[in-house]
Amino acid sequence: MRNPLIRRYPRELRAECGKYLAIFLFMVVSIGFISGFLVADGSMIAAYNNSFEDYTIEDGHFRTGTPLNAAKREAIEALGLDVYDLFYVNLPADNGSTVRVYPWREDVDRICVMQGKAPAAADEIAVDRMWADNNGLAVGDTLTVDGAPLTISALVAFSDYSCLFESNGDMMFDAVKFTAAAMTEEGFEALSAGRHAYNYAYLYQGERPADERAEVESAKALAEAINKVAALEDFVPRVINQAITFTGEDMGSDRAMMLLLLYILIGIMAFVFAMTAKNTIYREAGVIGTLRASGYTRGELLRHYILLPILVTLLAALVGNALGYTVFKYICVDMYYGSYSLPTYVTVWNADAFLLTSVVPIALMLAINALVLRRALGLSPIRFLRHDLSRGRHRRAVRLSEKLPFLRRFRARIILQNRGSFLTLLIGILFANILLYFGLMLPVLLDNLRSDIVSSLPSRYQYILSVPEFEQGSFMAEVMKYGLRTSAEGAEPCCVTSLQTEKRPGYRQEEITVYGLEENSAYIPLDFSVPGAYVSEDFADKYQLKPGDTFNMIERFDDGRYTFTVAGTCHYPGMLAVFLSRSDFNGVFGKAADDFNGYFSDEPIEDIDSRFIAGVIDINSMTKVSRQLQVSMGGMMYLVDIFSVILFMILMYLLTKLIIEKNARSISMVKILGGTGGEIASLYLASTAIATVISVVVTIPLAHVLIEKAMRVMMASEMTGWLPLRPSYAVWGEMALLGVGAFAVVALLEYRRILRVPMDAALKNVD
Amino acid sequence: MFLEIKGLKKGFGQGEARVEVLKGIDLGVEKGEIVVLLGPSGSGKSTLLNIIGGIDGADEGSIAIGGETMQSMSEKRLTQYRRRHLGYVFQLYNLIPDLTVRENVEVGAWLGEKPLNVDELLATLGLSEHAGKLPTQLSGGQQQRTAIGRAIVKNPDLLLCDEPTGALDYNTSKEILKLIETVNRRYGTTVIVVTHNAAIAGMADRVIRLRDGAIRSNEKNAVKIPAAELEW
Repeated sequence: MRNPLIRRYPRELRAECGKYLAIFLFMVVSIGFISGFLVADGSMIAAYNNSFEDYTIEDGHFRTGTPLNAAKREAIEALGLDVYDLFYVNLPADNGSTVRVYPWREDVDRICVMQGKAPAAADEIAVDRMWADNNGLAVGDTLTVDGAPLTISALVAFSDYSCLFESNGDMMFDAVKFTAAAMTEEGFEALSAGRHAYNYAYLYQGERPADERAEVESAKALAEAINKVAALEDFVPRVINQAITFTGEDMGSDRAMMLLLLYILIGIMAFVFAMTAKNTIYREAGVIGTLRASGYTRGELLRHYILLPILVTLLAALVGNALGYTVFKYICVDMYYGSYSLPTYVTVWNADAFLLTSVVPIALMLAINALVLRRALGLSPIRFLRHDLSRGRHRRAVRLSEKLPFLRRFRARIILQNRGSFLTLLIGILFANILLYFGLMLPVLLDNLRSDIVSSLPSRYQYILSVPEFEQGSFMAEVMKYGLRTSAEGAEPCCVTSLQTEKRPGYRQEEITVYGLEENSAYIPLDFSVPGAYVSEDFADKYQLKPGDTFNMIERFDDGRYTFTVAGTCHYPGMLAVFLSRSDFNGVFGKAADDFNGYFSDEPIEDIDSRFIAGVIDINSMTKVSRQLQVSMGGMMYLVDIFSVILFMILMYLLTKLIIEKNARSISMVKILGGTGGEIASLYLASTAIATVISVVVTIPLAHVLIEKAMRVMMASEMTGWLPLRPSYAVWGEMALLGVGAFAVVALLEYRRILRVPMDAALKNVD
Repeated sequence: MFLEIKGLKKGFGQGEARVEVLKGIDLGVEKGEIVVLLGPSGSGKSTLLNIIGGIDGADEGSIAIGGETMQSMSEKRLTQYRRRHLGYVFQLYNLIPDLTVRENVEVGAWLGEKPLNVDELLATLGLSEHAGKLPTQLSGGQQQRTAIGRAIVKNPDLLLCDEPTGALDYNTSKEILKLIETVNRRYGTTVIVVTHNAAIAGMADRVIRLRDGAIRSNEKNAVKIPAAELEW
């Protein structure tokens, strides 16, 4: 005979449809989104990984000042490389972007046409799909590059630009103001007019180095060897080429975070379920005692109370996965395409996504509910029959001063009575606030960073001149220096180089800009009478440096190692930099005392040949991090905000409902005594309101601290650059308002529940 | 007449399943009286008490208390009516489990317009030393005393007691009845006690016997027996 208790399930579902529906829908959306994300992530990672072979992505590239002649090319190929021309020219477009134009590629770093057709005429151009989206351009539109009107024939994904890093040293890619583009050979020749960079891609003829470390070692050896053949201006092996590798690294890290997010959400829901089931157990103590006395085992009852949460989770997992594979997958794929210039993908149906979003949540739900309910059901039958469910021998009242007004004591009792539920609420609100803080703070953070950068930029332009590092001290370099003088008003010479941070636990190695400044610089005035090096505030913050500390940096392609002592910090937001006096700089790097390779200037420098200008740092380039993050994550942040508020409301709704149901008899009794709905709300809803407001207010700074710590660890270990998180009290206020506003909506609903509590609840002669 | 009930009818269910619980009740209660409503299970005594208490409605008839007619009252006025005029004591106490004895009594005081002094009342109820305890730390008699305290602290005109000794042993029951008697005497509260224990009838000013939803007798006790002397 079937267990007759089974018949309770449909009744329980009907009676508690609000609770089950809220949790079910929340889990469906959470599981669906994460499942969709995992499928999209898996598919996109596969598309990315396959692109190395499918599109023959380079093993590295290098740039020389002059073209390689046949002999030099042969000498380099003798190092075990196949070398391919990958010339390009950076040109301005009419929309303010920099367009890096290449001739169409056939052999290496091939291009995936996503929409339209490869350029066939000299006035046609293929541009990056994401950049086109960000700039509102489509196939057939006209794009004016360096004054030449060109027709966009295709939107494409460059296999060597899955992230649009203009320069490998950039902290962030920029798919708004920078694009790679391709034209026919004829079109490229006409447009570049001989101004192109002599850039070459290479592929290893034999086996690639076994791992990243070996690849870096191999790259160092290659750079030295190639430099002996042809003066190198740039050398970027694939392993450190952010335009190629950033996507893969970034996608992998998101996956772990998304799964963690899902499990925390399921964990919170499991606790909510457990709390409500525990309440039901207490309410049904007499029945449970009778059933236990009649021979029902504790296990049977545990299974009875645990089954519905598990069924709801199972159903949510099935529906969520179905939606994940059909609806959410596309949303997540769009998010990827909104961040990366990936080629076309094929959906990879992976069992992992299903298991991780169904089996694990169910196991989590089972474990948490079993843990809580096993304890609740662990009492003897006689204790259930006597409704004696306290764990201690005799529960005592927490002493509250009688001087406190009655209402305060009453509310305090309600909070104490429901401390388990309120703890769940606190943890849930903390989590929702972490999400909300992330969603609200990031745009503000980026805005602040942008305005901080704009207001603190030392000069409108910084020019980096192309004195080839590898030709240092040579006759050619000396000759070139005569072409590096400018008569631009206020231009101040400086030295610039970059060094790499040393390997250090918890930190990713990164390039740091080292400046040599005039002693009395008008742009970055620092007191160089203090011995040592100044560091930018961001650098000091990221590496936890204070005046007097020493730090080491190394040459990227050489064995040079430098030790600096911190003299002080310099406000230069958005930049990780070290500042020396120009004389110190030239001394440290073994250069002539009057050597320089850059300018600070508020006026554009127009009297230096553009071939000698390796780069220009201006507001546009300095703000690309904030701009790109806003473009990539803006939409996502909005979703995060909505999701957090929904999480707020669900938690508040379920726990307030639980508290009212738990106290239904008391509420009924107060009604019988003549208490009005408003008065009862002032007891029960006010207690929940107090606990909620405290939870919201306490968890906001806590969320800040946690996110700040998490960001610090993540940015140090995963990212180059620094994005300091400083509290924004406006955002804190917004979060408090959203949290309290969410509760106000819930309180209105729950006020109706209080009004619906019947007075006969107190008349029933059962507990 | 303090409480006047005329032609009160009440039924439950629909069609053939309908049961007439009260079949036309007429009765009057003078201010300050102790009235015992006596009857077996199903006689309708608790239903009558709930209708008097404004927590259940009648199908027909009228109830007037202190000149106010209940039938014409809105839900809001009914709440005010209960608040101003009534105290309620149940068989199973219905104390708020997470409030101390004192706080449970204070719930009643909070709702009253001119509540009694809580400390004095606790002393009268013999609960001063238990004031800081939770209901689960009390005996049944102490819990019922707390419930009485909660009911009378707001100084109601009418105290309704539904089987107040139903869950108590003989000695404790007598203690509770003595307390009800004291409340009646000290505060002049009109008391209606519903019970199936005929022995309790002795302490009443008036005894009303109900059976099958109708009043079988309505008599004034010629001689009241003090609660302390009741035997069963």
